[in-house]
This record gives sequence, C-alpha cells and structure tokens, in this order.
Amino acid sequence: MSNVTEKDIRSFVDAVSGYFYQISEEQAEINAAFLVEGEISATTFDLTGYITLSGNFSGRVYFSAPRVMVTRLLLIMGEADRSEERLLDAVGEIANTIAGNARKHFGENMEISVPVTAATEHDWLQSVVSPRSYVILVKWKQYKASVVVDIQRTR
Amino acid sequence: MATTAQRSVFARYRNIIFAVILFIVADALVIGINFYGTFKANESAVSINLSGRQRMLSQRTTKVLLFVMYYQANNDEAGIERTLKELDLVVNLFDTTLKGFRDGDTVTGGDGKKVFLTQVDTDLSRKIVDDAYIIWNPYLDRLRPLLGNNRNFTQAHLEAAVSYARDKNLDVLRLMNDLTSDLEMVANNRANTLRWVLVFGFFVALGNFIYTVVFSMRNLIASDTELAAAREETVEILSTVREGLFLLDKERKVGSQFSSSLPQILRREINPGADFMAILQGIVEQKVFAAADDYIELLLGDRVKEALVTSLNPLTNVRISVQSQGGSVQENYLSFAFNRVLEQGKISHLLVTVQDVTEQVVLAQQLEQSKNQAKKEVEALLQLLNNDFGTLQQFISNVGLALAKINEELSLAQDAERNKDRQHTINTILRVVHGVKGEAAALGVDTLEAYAHQCELDMIAMREGGEEITGKHMVRISVLLEGFYERYSSLADIVEHFGRGFSGQDGAVANPVSAAGAAPQTNPIVDQITSLAQRIAKDQNKQVEVSCLLENLQTLPPKVASDLQGISIQLVRNALVHGIETPAERAARQKPETGVVCVWCEYLGNRNYDFIVRDDGRGIVVDRLRESLVNSGHLSREDAARLSDQEIAGRIFRPGISTAEIANRDAGHGIGLDIVLEKVNSINGRLLVKSRPDRFTEFHIHFSVAA
Repeated sequence: MSNVTEKDIRSFVDAVSGYFYQISEEQAEINAAFLVEGEISATTFDLTGYITLSGNFSGRVYFSAPRVMVTRLLLIMGEADRSEERLLDAVGEIANTIAGNARKHFGENMEISVPVTAATEHDWLQSVVSPRSYVILVKWKQYKASVVVDIQRTR
Repeated sequence: MATTAQRSVFARYRNIIFAVILFIVADALVIGINFYGTFKANESAVSINLSGRQRMLSQRTTKVLLFVMYYQANNDEAGIERTLKELDLVVNLFDTTLKGFRDGDTVTGGDGKKVFLTQVDTDLSRKIVDDAYIIWNPYLDRLRPLLGNNRNFTQAHLEAAVSYARDKNLDVLRLMNDLTSDLEMVANNRANTLRWVLVFGFFVALGNFIYTVVFSMRNLIASDTELAAAREETVEILSTVREGLFLLDKERKVGSQFSSSLPQILRREINPGADFMAILQGIVEQKVFAAADDYIELLLGDRVKEALVTSLNPLTNVRISVQSQGGSVQENYLSFAFNRVLEQGKISHLLVTVQDVTEQVVLAQQLEQSKNQAKKEVEALLQLLNNDFGTLQQFISNVGLALAKINEELSLAQDAERNKDRQHTINTILRVVHGVKGEAAALGVDTLEAYAHQCELDMIAMREGGEEITGKHMVRISVLLEGFYERYSSLADIVEHFGRGFSGQDGAVANPVSAAGAAPQTNPIVDQITSLAQRIAKDQNKQVEVSCLLENLQTLPPKVASDLQGISIQLVRNALVHGIETPAERAARQKPETGVVCVWCEYLGNRNYDFIVRDDGRGIVVDRLRESLVNSGHLSREDAARLSDQEIAGRIFRPGISTAEIANRDAGHGIGLDIVLEKVNSINGRLLVKSRPDRFTEFHIHFSVAA
C-alpha cells in the first residue's frame, strides 16, 4: 500500500460522496478510516462493486453497501425497479463514478477496468483484499458503506 | 557550402538550361536566315522587276526606232527629236541594267530611284546575259549614231539599226524572258529554302518546346513526387518518433512542423509558431526557466561553441508540474536537448529534442531510495546490535501492539458522533505514538523515532488547528499509520533476520555483542534509559549522570515491567528537558554542572512496590505552567490566577500542556505526562509528585502486583 497518498484515497471517497450528493443533495460523509490489519477486517456489505487499476498503480478499489442503503438510493432516484439486478447496477454506477474520478485524478497513465459487481457475504472483502488496505467507512443518512482501497504504486 | 549549393542547382536544372540556350540559338539562327532570306528576296524582287523591264525596254527600243523611221519619212522633226530622246532613255536603261545583271551595279529602278542590282549568280542567267550581250553589243553599235545630243546619223544608219532590231528583237525578248524566268526560279528557290528553314526552325522550336515541357513536367512531377515522398517521410518520422522534435527560431517560436508526440510530452496543445518560452514558463520552476532562457540565448548567439555549453543545459531531467483535469498536479521529468541548425554557416534555428524521462528518473530515484533505505537499514541494524535481542523483540512486539491499538482506535471512531469523541481518539492515538517514540528513542531506533515525531506533529496540528475533527482527518491518520507500518515492517524483518542469524541451535538467543565478549552483560532497561538521557542531554547542551536501580523490574509481570519502562522513558525525557538545567544555570545556582537523574524500583514487601524517578533540576516552575495553561486555552487568566500553585501543578498531566519554550522531538507537545498517567492507571498505581524550586522533582508511583 506504499506511496498511496491521502489525496489518492480522497479522490475515490469524494467520488462516492459526490454521487450521493448528486442524487440526494446529501453528501456521504467519511465516518472512519482504518487499515485491514490483524483483527481489523475490511467491512463487507450486501452489494459490492469494484474497479481494477493498472498503470502507475495496480490493485482494486471496492465500494460495498448494504442492500437497504442502495434501495433507498433507488427510491430517491424514483426507480420503480428495485430488483437485485437493478441494485447491483446502482452499485456498479457508483464504482464507475469512482473510476471516472480516478481517471481525472491520476491522469492518462492509469488504466481502469469496467466495474464488476457482486452480491457479497459479510467476510468477502476480507478474503480478497491485501493486508493494510485502506477501509474508509462513509455514512449517508443512517446507513454506512465502505470504500476499500487496495492499490499499490508500481512506479 | 555556397558553391556546392550553386553546383547542385546547376546540376538539377542543367537540361532546362541547355534547352533554353538551344531555343535561343535556334531562334537566332532562324531569324538570321529569315533576315538574310528576306534580304535576298528583296534583291530577287529587284532583279525580277528589272529583268521584266528589260523585256519591255527591248520592245520599246524597236518601237522607238520604228517611230523614228516613221517621223523621218514624214519629215516630222519634232517627232524625230522626241522619239530619239526616248531612244536615249530606253537604250541607256537597257544597257546599264544589262550591265548590272552581268557585273552588279547601281541602276535606275522602276520608280526612277537608284537601286543596287545584284550580279546574276546562276549559270543559266550568266549564259543568258552573255548571250544577250552577243546580240546587244552589235545592236548598240548600230544604235550609237542615233544616240546622244551630238547624234549624226544617216538614213542608212537608221535602216541598219531598224533592220537589226527587226532581226534580233524577238531574240532579245526571249533572252530577257528567260532571264526573268530564271530569276523567278532563283527567287522561288530562295523562298522555298526560306520556307524550309522556317519550317525547320518551327520544328526545332517545337521540338525544343516539347522537350522543355516534357522534361520540365517530368522533372516537376519527379520533384513533386520526391518532395511528397520526403514530406511523407518527414510526416511519418514526426508522427512515429517518441521524442518531441521541433525547430526553434531566433524569436523562440516553435516551427511549423513538430512531432505528434510533442503535445503529449509537454502535456498541452502546441500550435505552429507557439511561444516556446511561454510554454516553458508554464511547466518549469522560475529558477530553471531563467537558466533555460540564458542557455537558449547562448546557443542562438555565435560567440560560444555548442559543445562547450552542452553541459550547462538546465533542462536535463527537469521536473515539470502539470495539473490534470481532476485538479491534481502530476509531476513528470523531461529532458530537452538543443542542437544548432546552420544555414550558410550562420545559426538559423535550434533543433530541440524533448524526451519524457520520468521512468528513468523515477527508476534512478527508486534506486537512490533503495540505496538510502539499505543504508538506513544497515545503520538501524548497527544501532539495533547495541541492544539486547530480547529487548528488541519486546520493542518490536510493543510497537506492533501500539500500531494495532492505533488502528483499533481508528476503527472504533466510526461510532464517534461528536468532535469531542474524535478529539479523544486523536489524544489516545497521540499517547500511543508518543510511547512508541519514547521507546524508539531509548533503543536508538532513529527512523522510527523520527517518523513517530512527524506523526505527532501532524496530529497535534489537526488537534490544535481549530477545525472540527472529521472523517477526513481520520483518513489522514490512517495514511500516517500505514507509513508507520511500513517502517515497522522493515525493522521487524531486520530483527527477525537478526534473530535467525544469532539463534543457537536450541533456539536460545544470544546477544551478538555479548557473545563476542565485547561488552559486559548489563540490564537492558538501564542501558536504554542511560543512552536516552545522554542523547537528550547532548541535544539540550546539558550534562547528566543517570543512576538506575531497576533489578526489581525483572521480577515483575511483563505488562507491568513494560508500563514502568514506558513511564521511566517519559519521565527521564521530561527530567532532561524541563528539570535539569544547563551547566551555566546550575553553576549560577551553586549546583554541580552535571545534573543527576535517579530511577529506581523498590520492593516494599507484600507485593507492594515504589517506582521513583527523581532529578535535581529546577523543579516544577508553577508560574511557567500557569502561563502555559492560559496560553493553550486550558484556563482563563482569571482562573489561572485564582488557582493555588498545587492546583496548577496538578494539571501537568493534562494532554496538550507543556512548559517547553520550543517544541522538538523530545518535548513541547504535552503528551509525555499524559502517557505516564495512563500507564500508572493501567497498573492501578498511585502517583505522587513532589517538587521544590531549584532543588528537585520526584515522581513517586506506588503499586501492587496481584498474586
């Protein structure tokens, strides 16, 4: 996780925060930030979307949120369809927003994959992320979601 | 070089030049021939005209003779006179003209003016003229008595002339006809020749024209093709080459052509004729820009040799900062190379080659970093070798636990709802970091001590920055924590490696220094405290003697011993910074220049202990503490004045309180005593502080150990 700066992490979190603000005019605030280390694990919620980075950095950035939070988001968006598929799409959209911000922040030397989404078990992230990945918990309304930054500078 | 260029131009256009010369020569020749032909035609026209007149004159001579005879028969003197005058004229004309045909001479033309009659030049004409003279000479002899003003002729003379005229009239007429025909034929031949010359001239001119056009067109097409190919090659090169290439003119403008990679390398749009200096100013530091300006000036001037100033190029591996769309500033490294372009020996342009050398520079930096890292690791290793291995293991373990504690505090902060809660989180983390710093300092692990100090400063700035502590601060702390882990892992690896290297076969670990017999076995805690005290004393320009009696620590449970070790580190640090005076101050107070710090742990029996840290310094300066409490906003000036000295002294354990004038890595952040209090609480101890101005300060901790 070396050489990842606060600004780098903030670029991912700001994307999430901005997305929620755009939809609901209510920002998702950073609630806590810590590392995946020892007994402290990455917080996984029901639905997770992630992007894979390569170039100057390699690794993944995850956004994980509880189903109820995404449902609420769709409700505000006026979406009638709140099927599992649509919920995953919404998580994918947020991951895509993270990708867009990352592109702006890191410039052209960063290659970013299309978002991948999945319904996830509570310990899924813990099993896939590297030790000392950053976990940033964000709070929107009464819900919490996590942004997990597991990237490494390659040059 | 100029001669070569001229030669090259001549070689290139040689055929066209020859064609143009040929065209001029052929035209001049045709015009000359034409001019000559026209002249000859004019001559022929005169000859034909006059030979025709000769025919008429031969007939007119005969007619005049017959009229003379007629007027003679009728005794018409006037008629005779008039006709004889006419005879004079026509005979003279015929004779001079015939002479002109034979010899070439000036004669009277048809209009009465003098013209030059050229000598006939064909064999036939010459024979005709000769034949005409054979007839004309006897004819003229017969006419002579009839001619001139003093004529004196008889009837016989007249009859002889008329008779000869009648006899030879037709012969003369035929000869003059033949002459005319021959002259006409000559004229026709000349006209034909001239026509052929003109036709030839026309075809020569046409051929020349066609040759010139075809050759020129071919050359033009070849040249265009060559030019297009060259342009295509240039375009291909410029669009393929990875370097930024362009020409810089004396006005320092970018040339019309540049490689397509240039805008990408410079991270901005480049237009032909763009001001290079403005571009440069936007991407490099002002100091580099000024140096580059001078360097380009030198290169564009001809006073210095290019090779001599190459090493002065300030744009080699130069760092450029470019703002990305997202607002973040990206740093890249570029290398600009400048080469003079000469035209006729004069500098016309500079060829500029720009390379993105970020990767090379980053690799070099990484290599340098690796070297430094390796050096630091070796230094750290050497420092670590001064410590007992068990102590090191304990230290690594303590740091690991401390970092885990920080991370736990960070994760628990998700439940912090208020600023105050987050302030508490920061204070807790600060205490942990300060503890690590103290332990690192005691062991002489500078890298970790320095980083812990930096983290402290960052967090104190957050705490005292006046801003509400939010999740954003937590992100910053998590990044600091990651840095801590990074350094901790390196150290842990070294200690692990160290342990493997010096472990006995039975797994027992021996101190390498001790094993070598270089130093006597000592109490590691005492060593740590002593070396820390001496290091701080040196930093503070003070002298100190440390007296420790800590054997009892080894009998205590590890947790308690570790806490007391932490306490002793913080209190000795405090003693050195706040208590012990400088030698000059001590001398002024009639005290020995070397201060004394005592640390001891005393067993009182029945599982009770006293742990004491005492220095013979200036004691707790209550006034300074009171001032500090006011300045840090912990107390209003009124409250500070109202509280007793004892109450003021009691506040030294509050976080953020320090009496140090200058904050540095050893003191000034108001964290140390906060930790002491926390650790005393952790061992369920009771803390008593005693102090007398200019005499001493003593921290007395009483605790019990469970059975």
